[in-house]
Amino acid sequence: MKFFFPDSQDLVDPSFDFDTEKRKETRIRQRDDLYAHEVFEKPPYDGMLVSMAIVHGTGGSTGRYTLGQQRRFSVEGAREFLRLPKGLELIGDCGAFTYVKEPVPPVSVEQVARFYEDSGFDYGASVDHIILEYDPQWDRPLPGTKPVPEDCVRRQELTIQLARDFQKLCRQQKVRFEPIGIAQGWSPKSYSKAVSALQKMGYKYIALGGLVPLKSTEILQVLEEVSPKLRPSTGLHLFGVTRLDYVKEFARHSVISFDSTSPLTQAFKEDRENYYGPERKYPAIRVPQVDINQKLKNRILSGEVSQAEAFRLERECLEALRDFDRRSFRRLELIEVLNEYQQLYGSTRNYSADYEILLKDRPWKECPCAVCRKLGINVVIFRGAERNRRRGFHNVYVTYKRLKHIRGKARTL
Amino acid sequence: MAKASTKAGVRRSRKKTANELLLRVPALEFNQGKDRRLYSFAVDGKELHKFCTISRVSRNDSEGLSGYQRPEVVSHIVQIREYLESENPLLPNAIVVAFDESVRFKPSSPNSENDKAISRTGVLEIPVKEGVLDALKPGWIVDGQQRAAALRDARVEGFPICVVGFIASGLEEQRQQFILVNATKPLPKGLIYELLPSTEGKLPIALQRRRYPALLSERLNFDDDSPMQGMIRTPTNGTGVIADNSILKMLENSLTDGVLYLYDDIEEQLDVLKTFWSAVKTVFPDAWGELPRKSRLMHGAGIVAMGFLMDTIADRHRRTKALTSKVFVNDLEPLRDICHWTEGYWEFGADNRLKWNELQNVPRHIQLLSNYLLIQYRELVWKA
Repeated sequence: MKFFFPDSQDLVDPSFDFDTEKRKETRIRQRDDLYAHEVFEKPPYDGMLVSMAIVHGTGGSTGRYTLGQQRRFSVEGAREFLRLPKGLELIGDCGAFTYVKEPVPPVSVEQVARFYEDSGFDYGASVDHIILEYDPQWDRPLPGTKPVPEDCVRRQELTIQLARDFQKLCRQQKVRFEPIGIAQGWSPKSYSKAVSALQKMGYKYIALGGLVPLKSTEILQVLEEVSPKLRPSTGLHLFGVTRLDYVKEFARHSVISFDSTSPLTQAFKEDRENYYGPERKYPAIRVPQVDINQKLKNRILSGEVSQAEAFRLERECLEALRDFDRRSFRRLELIEVLNEYQQLYGSTRNYSADYEILLKDRPWKECPCAVCRKLGINVVIFRGAERNRRRGFHNVYVTYKRLKHIRGKARTL
Repeated sequence: MAKASTKAGVRRSRKKTANELLLRVPALEFNQGKDRRLYSFAVDGKELHKFCTISRVSRNDSEGLSGYQRPEVVSHIVQIREYLESENPLLPNAIVVAFDESVRFKPSSPNSENDKAISRTGVLEIPVKEGVLDALKPGWIVDGQQRAAALRDARVEGFPICVVGFIASGLEEQRQQFILVNATKPLPKGLIYELLPSTEGKLPIALQRRRYPALLSERLNFDDDSPMQGMIRTPTNGTGVIADNSILKMLENSLTDGVLYLYDDIEEQLDVLKTFWSAVKTVFPDAWGELPRKSRLMHGAGIVAMGFLMDTIADRHRRTKALTSKVFVNDLEPLRDICHWTEGYWEFGADNRLKWNELQNVPRHIQLLSNYLLIQYRELVWKA
């Protein structure tokens, strides 16, 4: 089973100095920065997934790429732009999550196909419209239960029609990428119906969308309904799903690939599971920047907190962490300093117990990955994009290593 | 009693209390109108915080507003600090300090009665208490808190700076001075950009980044062989038709993601620029050189989008042939009919139809026009 990593311009600046927190003045974004596959000796994924929404934006948004980058992406091709090594594959999709609130997708089948073709993708997904509701009861309606919402049905029909148009266009234009058909549904049976329709159109690679909010067992129920109808040559992709504990079950149901950003985003969006250790996940140590943290800035502006005091504690925390890593500062004193700063910036959460476990285990010392080797304790400090994103890269590395381990044990995956 | 210090121009003397020093600095006193006395003197920037504090603005529950300064801005301080740590820094403008009445001026010759003199020399005596609370220090910084913080943090031995002090009757007067010195208008961006190419030494990063594009822009505006000669509007060239900012944007795009990135040599870069824009002038003679309100080619959206076309044409040919005027003209010609710089409608596809003068210099329209031109270029020229 292949793991694709979605691109959202997550790069790190190699010139960033963790002691002075400065970067090279001549640095050019993206060109001088590094992707996760450039940070580690071996890429921590089998390929990347790039959404048209991230590159160009859809509807009213302008995307995450600058216009200059958009141009270069289409002229050089995605592979060269992303500096993707040989052997890694590229899936394109249109990023349906960005227009989920619109009545119809703001992109046309032609635009999307041109985007895939011009940028040289290996696979290109059809245009879809996400169905937000999910309820298996709709498959066995009891008297008195509400029927399937009309909007769900409409979105599924639209998605199937767009997949048909897409397939037709790809054949006409003899595109070089392999089309992926996207299935949307609101229950196991409805997904199964969509998948069968796509299979009939000739799709051999079918992706299931809208699974992100579902529980793992619900995803399995969908797959159980879908897989018996699949031809042996059909493979499934799961959009936005990383459930490593279920990889084996997924594989039994013909899932051949999935993609997810969650190992990266957990590094800075989760409350307590920011750093993937070998046995468990740890919270990262919060040392926000006095001049950037909005809460703290507001408290300083209102005179509630003395700025000089905030600067002093911030510096003290960073120095204590550095000294702790060199084993010249005690754990309990460190936690005290961290707490003192935390009270100042007004966090209501108390992480002391979690910090104690993290500092006792020192998981970054054990990790062989390039990020942990280079950053030391900085990898577990929750502070600024350069640290947080590198911790995310580490999590991606750990995820992929685990996947490879599972794959190794079960040769058939 | 008085003990001479080695620090430039600063003498200290010990007073009765053990922890109170009297900082004595040579100063110039002058009157600015009735009862308004200013004191000008120099101190080591590192000593400033011994007798000065910053009146941070805050609001107490009962007493209303106190203080008046905003917090330090770290990025700004870092910039000044790096400048102070650079090779040969100069900080000519004075820090403005409001003193309370504990500060005294002692004229060197108290009896001189010269009506014509607007200033007299003497010594300013500033009481300094070691380890005292900020609030009890005799001076408040009214202007220059970021500079003062940079001086405090800079990794330099010392740095003499100019201070202008006045004795304020109270917080209200300090506040008034604070508002007065800080309500000035910043320099117009265009003037700064125009000055950039002919400056030397370290500048803040944002400006440093613009210095090179500004240099290219200046050459395009003033070189004899430039198709844009005299056409870029700057503070000293008010008759130009193209906004300097549009040119800078176009240049920056190409320097990071386009053809200019490929060259290190400015003459080679200018060569490509002049060749391309000459070709644009040849292909669109009617739209060239008109004011943006008459021609969208000279407008921000037109200049930036055409810049992307330059990069793309260069990408297509650079490996196989020299980027001559002929190459650019040949590749631009097929686009002539789909461009509507001065009249008609842009047919951006689907329901996207814009009248020529509805095209605005906003990101959305720049993207729309750029994508349209690049797609048309691929269809009509590259793939054809």
